[in-house]
Amino acid sequence: MIRVENLHKRFGEVRAVDGVSFTAADGLVTALLGPNGAGKTTTLRMLYTLMRPDEGRIFVDDVDAVADAQGARLRLGVLPDQSGLYPRLTAREHIAYFGELQGITGSDLRTRTEHLLKLLDMTEIADRRVAGFSHGERTKTALARAIVHRPKNVLLDEPTNGLDVMSTRAVREIIRRLKGEGHTVLFSSHVMQEVSALSDRIVVIARGTIVADGSPDDLRRQTGHENMEDAFVALSGLEVEANPS
Amino acid sequence: MAANTSSTVVQALVVCRKELKDWSRDRRSIITVLISSLLAPILVGVMFTNLASRQRQVEDVTIPVVGGANAPALMDWLRQQAGVTVVDGPSDPEEAVRSRREDVVVVIADDFSADLKSSRPAQVRIVADGSSQNTRPKVQRIRGLLQQYSGQIGALRLIARGVSPAVASTLQIEDVEVSSAQQRAAMLLGFIPLFILISAFTGGMPLATDSTAGERERGSIEALLVNPAPREAIAAGKWIAGTLTAMLSVVVSGGLLFALFQYIPLQDLGIRFHLGQRELIGTLIIVLPVCPLIVGIQMYVATFAKSFKEAQSYLSFLMMVQMVPGMIMMNSNVAKAWWMYYVPWVGAQTILTDMLGNKPISAAVFVVMGLVNVVLAIVAVRATAGLLLREKIIFGR
Repeated sequence: MIRVENLHKRFGEVRAVDGVSFTAADGLVTALLGPNGAGKTTTLRMLYTLMRPDEGRIFVDDVDAVADAQGARLRLGVLPDQSGLYPRLTAREHIAYFGELQGITGSDLRTRTEHLLKLLDMTEIADRRVAGFSHGERTKTALARAIVHRPKNVLLDEPTNGLDVMSTRAVREIIRRLKGEGHTVLFSSHVMQEVSALSDRIVVIARGTIVADGSPDDLRRQTGHENMEDAFVALSGLEVEANPS
Repeated sequence: MAANTSSTVVQALVVCRKELKDWSRDRRSIITVLISSLLAPILVGVMFTNLASRQRQVEDVTIPVVGGANAPALMDWLRQQAGVTVVDGPSDPEEAVRSRREDVVVVIADDFSADLKSSRPAQVRIVADGSSQNTRPKVQRIRGLLQQYSGQIGALRLIARGVSPAVASTLQIEDVEVSSAQQRAAMLLGFIPLFILISAFTGGMPLATDSTAGERERGSIEALLVNPAPREAIAAGKWIAGTLTAMLSVVVSGGLLFALFQYIPLQDLGIRFHLGQRELIGTLIIVLPVCPLIVGIQMYVATFAKSFKEAQSYLSFLMMVQMVPGMIMMNSNVAKAWWMYYVPWVGAQTILTDMLGNKPISAAVFVVMGLVNVVLAIVAVRATAGLLLREKIIFGR
């Protein structure tokens, strides 16, 4: 479970995140939906402890992520905004490296790696260096290494951004599976279809603040738009401001 | 707490192993190590062999003479000089020198004997190519020999006429050669410690930059730092790996120098210098403890860089800065002050020069120097770990 209370982050004069609060519950998929520059990535960066909030509190399974960053990281699996890989290592070696950093070794590590490779349909490319990987293959590798330790809470920053149909399917499949296993999944996206297809709960963020929070049905009802895309546009205020970034 | 410490060590080793694996697959880094460790031995080898052969060339001189029969006394005198061999010259001396078949040819005029007997200046021509650098010492040697002979005969003539030869000598010219082959060789030997230290620097550089600035450039640092491994473990793992590559470079470079010195004819230069097993081991003992500090500083500096290229330009500058004290020390004979031993890098170079010059080394100096290095290295690693907490470093691209 992830709980965020009144989060603030300022870069100079820009209030990137300005009083964000929400909860992502166990066994549910929560989406952070918003246009580019709305504050999604900054919010997630604070959640995965690499950025310190100016104000506000973050709890990961009741661990205060601001005070005990390392304790929070133990409970997190993260696909960050920048998830670069090491071009000279193979996919399998990426998964093994992060597994070992989490303290997983030996046959346990091998089993988990094998399982993830199969799940993401990567068996054929597992022992190739990632230098020649496609965008989809890279994302799958980054995703696999992020969840090799079976973290209770999974944070994904734009996981399907730029992926082809098959890779998108694989990522969605993983998200559903994680949900089924009782994990907390929080992912960000600016794509409407993505969010409505996957999430149980949608937190709409625009200009650093939460403008709506509820189930897809709640949001439709709240805005009076039957079409989710119209609802999104109405909520995020895109009609007023054409280029919010 | 104990469990925490041990897991930190394990995590550091995991990082270290990954970095070494990554490094060993990088052709660029392997080539850098090879070139940097080969460069010094090759350079030193070529320079020494060159010096030695030139020295030999001057000492053992073969003089092709045309018309030697015209001056039998001169020929006999030349043959008596150490290292001089007189041979018959080619029929066309000027052509032979022009076409580089001969370095120099001495031509004795036909009326040499007659001129000599009647105390007229007897003509001897030295045919040489003044534009050729390599033959200049040889020509000078021959000219010197002929002038010496001329002076001796002249002096005898004056004595025969009851005049002191001193009257004819207006000047007493004495050559004081300051750049003898020996001295040049000794200067080259002074470069050896510097070469070995530089190989530590260049050897550690690829990993130090790739694991810091490279990690930022690829955008892999975020994912790495989301791991629960403490920053100290991550920084230390990278540092250990970098140190190992720097050490490898030093061992290869030192070993090659050692192997090379078995073949360089140092005795021909009249140098009592020996680079044997004792010196090799001594060199390694002195230089290897400097590697952790060198790599620690490299990593700290490279972490500020956003890209591999940027890091390399920082580190090249850093290397030049580190070389300055050594260069100054070598070129001007600055007296060695006690504190020099305790300045990292400078100390290693000072103590290396002492050892290669067969001066006694005190164990206390050595231990203190090692401690200074280790302490500063740990400071650098902690500082690097601190940088990994900064948002500007993690997210700044």
